[in-house]
Amino acid sequence: MNPLGPTVEESWQNLLAGKSGIRPIFIFEASTFPTTFAAQVPDFDLSPYVRDAAAFEQAGRNVRFAMAAARMAIEDAGFAAHTGPYGGVLPRMAGGFDPARFGIYLGSGEGIVDFITLVTAIANGTRADNTVSTVGFAETALRQCNAMRELEQEPNMPANHLACEYGLEGPAYSCLTACAASTQAIGEAADLIRLGRADLMLAGGTHSMIHPLGVTGFNLLTAISTEPKAEPWRASRPFDRGRAGFVLGEGSTMLVLEELEHARARGAKIWGEIAGYGSSADAYRMTDIHPEGRGPAASMQMALEKAGLRPEEIDYISAHGTGTTENDKVETLAVKLVFGEYACKVPISSVKSQLGHLIAAAGATELMTCILAIRDQIVPATMNLDDPDPLCDLDYVPNTPRKTPVEVCMSNSFGFGGQNDSLVVRRFVP
Amino acid sequence: MDRRIVITGMGLLSPAGDGPEALAEAVRNGRSAVGPITRFDPAGFPSRIAGEVPEFDPVEGLRKDQGRYVKKNAKVMARDIQLAIAAAARAILDTGLPLGDAKAGEPVLPTIDHARFGMIFGTSFLPTELDDLAVPVQAARAGGEFSLAGWGEHGIPQMFPLWLLKYLPNMHACHAGILWDAQGPSNSLTCSDAGGLIALDEACRILARGDADTMLACGGECRVSPVVVLRCCLLDRVTTSNDEAASACRPFDEARQGWVVAEGAAALMLEPLDAAQARGATVYGEVLGTGVGTTTAGVNTCDEDGRSVAAAVGRALQAAGVDPSDLGAVLAHGPALDVQDRSETAGLASALGPAARQVPVTATKGVTGNMGAASGLADLAAMLVLAEDGQVPPILNCDRPDTEAGVNLVTGGPQPLASDHILATTNAIGGQTAAAVIRVNRQR
Repeated sequence: MNPLGPTVEESWQNLLAGKSGIRPIFIFEASTFPTTFAAQVPDFDLSPYVRDAAAFEQAGRNVRFAMAAARMAIEDAGFAAHTGPYGGVLPRMAGGFDPARFGIYLGSGEGIVDFITLVTAIANGTRADNTVSTVGFAETALRQCNAMRELEQEPNMPANHLACEYGLEGPAYSCLTACAASTQAIGEAADLIRLGRADLMLAGGTHSMIHPLGVTGFNLLTAISTEPKAEPWRASRPFDRGRAGFVLGEGSTMLVLEELEHARARGAKIWGEIAGYGSSADAYRMTDIHPEGRGPAASMQMALEKAGLRPEEIDYISAHGTGTTENDKVETLAVKLVFGEYACKVPISSVKSQLGHLIAAAGATELMTCILAIRDQIVPATMNLDDPDPLCDLDYVPNTPRKTPVEVCMSNSFGFGGQNDSLVVRRFVP
Repeated sequence: MDRRIVITGMGLLSPAGDGPEALAEAVRNGRSAVGPITRFDPAGFPSRIAGEVPEFDPVEGLRKDQGRYVKKNAKVMARDIQLAIAAAARAILDTGLPLGDAKAGEPVLPTIDHARFGMIFGTSFLPTELDDLAVPVQAARAGGEFSLAGWGEHGIPQMFPLWLLKYLPNMHACHAGILWDAQGPSNSLTCSDAGGLIALDEACRILARGDADTMLACGGECRVSPVVVLRCCLLDRVTTSNDEAASACRPFDEARQGWVVAEGAAALMLEPLDAAQARGATVYGEVLGTGVGTTTAGVNTCDEDGRSVAAAVGRALQAAGVDPSDLGAVLAHGPALDVQDRSETAGLASALGPAARQVPVTATKGVTGNMGAASGLADLAAMLVLAEDGQVPPILNCDRPDTEAGVNLVTGGPQPLASDHILATTNAIGGQTAAAVIRVNRQR
């Protein structure tokens, strides 16, 4: 469920068609904000995806996206849709398995702050010296806030809703390592399966920071692009000389990971194999990336080693490629550090040029495009790459998707704050 | 686990004070650390008491360059982050690993491989401080009604430019990583009350699979803030026994009324046993196994039959290879909220089977209140100290234990600690459950 479409196929076809999900912000009145555009998911009806849509009235966009994406993933994995009452889902799923061995690991963003109520309560509590009386705040907030809407802001709510919706009683985790979160979630979920802690894991990400405080926060950090307002689809320009920050996106991608023999035994369709995962930290500075790309290089290196692959065996890299001056330059250096001479030969692209930056959901969404690239033997383009930055001198697949043999891909996510994660996914060869 | 993983450092900031000993002492003496909220004026809220961490030195024991970093960046760290990085520092310093000479350009921990030093934090949603928004909101109103148009034009320019960084839930890991040059695997787990023990679970998995040689597992949270107290009040999670602060938090007691919000952070340093032995480290205990689960009963409740707690406990015991009858004590979460407590005791009774009537079950929330993600790790740290008494301390304020609990709740006085195997459990409302089995090393 992402800005380019409500299904895997539709968003993939739109991606390959070079379409952009970036539009003026319609979720809230943003016309006077420094940034007025984002890649948004069009409104959709949740009822086809859940048993009782009314139970999600106070849920944030993150939860709604997660429920939709998870339903699609679970059905795609060959498990029947739920037909029974609450809690009666899994035992009826095709293939028969133990719900206690079906876990969840999400890279999951917080829900949406009830901004208008928050500022109203703050305004009512603000004293002459511009500090806030918590007594005045409490008086308004206790009256006007909705308890469930407040609860829905907790970052583990998407995982909690999924566990309840599908009766998944296996190990459940929720992490929030900024832009790296869902890559990390998938890597750790795979580890739990390898360790024998679960047979199946619902793994992925969900997030929306397209709300007043989210856009405010990123505008203050000058991390997101503000121009061109008239042609916002040109604003996300990874690796281009004219890049000026990322564009916020939103959405969710969910994968069902399964232990191979378990999948074979039930005759499941296999999309691909998680071959390697690496995790590292920059440990450098709060707002700057290590100038030589030490952290990103370490996560890529670890993922390659875990996969038992040489750099030349990677056919495509889905870049973190945010479109900030700093990231794209350092990411280029890090790829060179790890891939050596092969760095200039491997196709690399950033789908953030079309999808925007889905933050905690970015990694899972980009891994999905890697899996589809393997299926269709085509890699998506980096759009808006009209004037390549001389410091970003690798093959970034400018502006047109490319037909090319793709068997093994790497997907990179580097979180704000310095947490880095890399995954290697390959075609499943029986 | 193929690699035996041991605890070689502990750091704890709790309402009882600085260090595991402070909490152990308060638990031993049945001294409550709950009092009226002083971090803000709570007069407008129905619940006005909390477990607050007494003043602490954020740079204690640090190198000068680290101290400068902490002081310089304090303004971009929410209270949760300040508590967590301080507990992390205490745990790291407690390992006895020598600090490098900054002037000589040495790494901060020259005897370890910084590329193989990782950190996992149990954290939470960090709500904004209200004062941060006061001036921008006033500016946006410009004398009239608040509007988003006014916010965009006049409010945003009045905001502190680094506002977002102050509240990102992964900034504990960011700052601690920078301070200690921890370049290995790093994660920020947002699993509410279960976050601390889940951080321990993940840190141990990373060590076990060989992706790191030294790991920090930390849980920290500050629930003593207007926004969190607001939520807890709206969701009916907190007690309103404001006039009886010391006895307000009543784990497993018939008269329990809910949480007392609290703040705190707990950190454990973990390394493989062989490495710890090779450097002659003090080994507090060994992590034998961990387990994680989740409720499926609803996002704002806990399962009545305790199956999610039983699942986590069963998985931890199985991973540890420990039979319930070999447990010396259970450190329960026991936040004193009816639905959460009952789910926990039902789960323990089910997972421990016939041993449930024997193994002493204790809890520390009567002393501290609910420290959220610090729970579990804080209890383990305190118990590693208390184990030297050879006793399991009683649950403060559990005067009339829940008769349906089905477990051996320790009340009145201590019970003997019959085995060095300790089980810790936590359960989040509507969410994750976690358990860990450790072996206390009393020969240290």
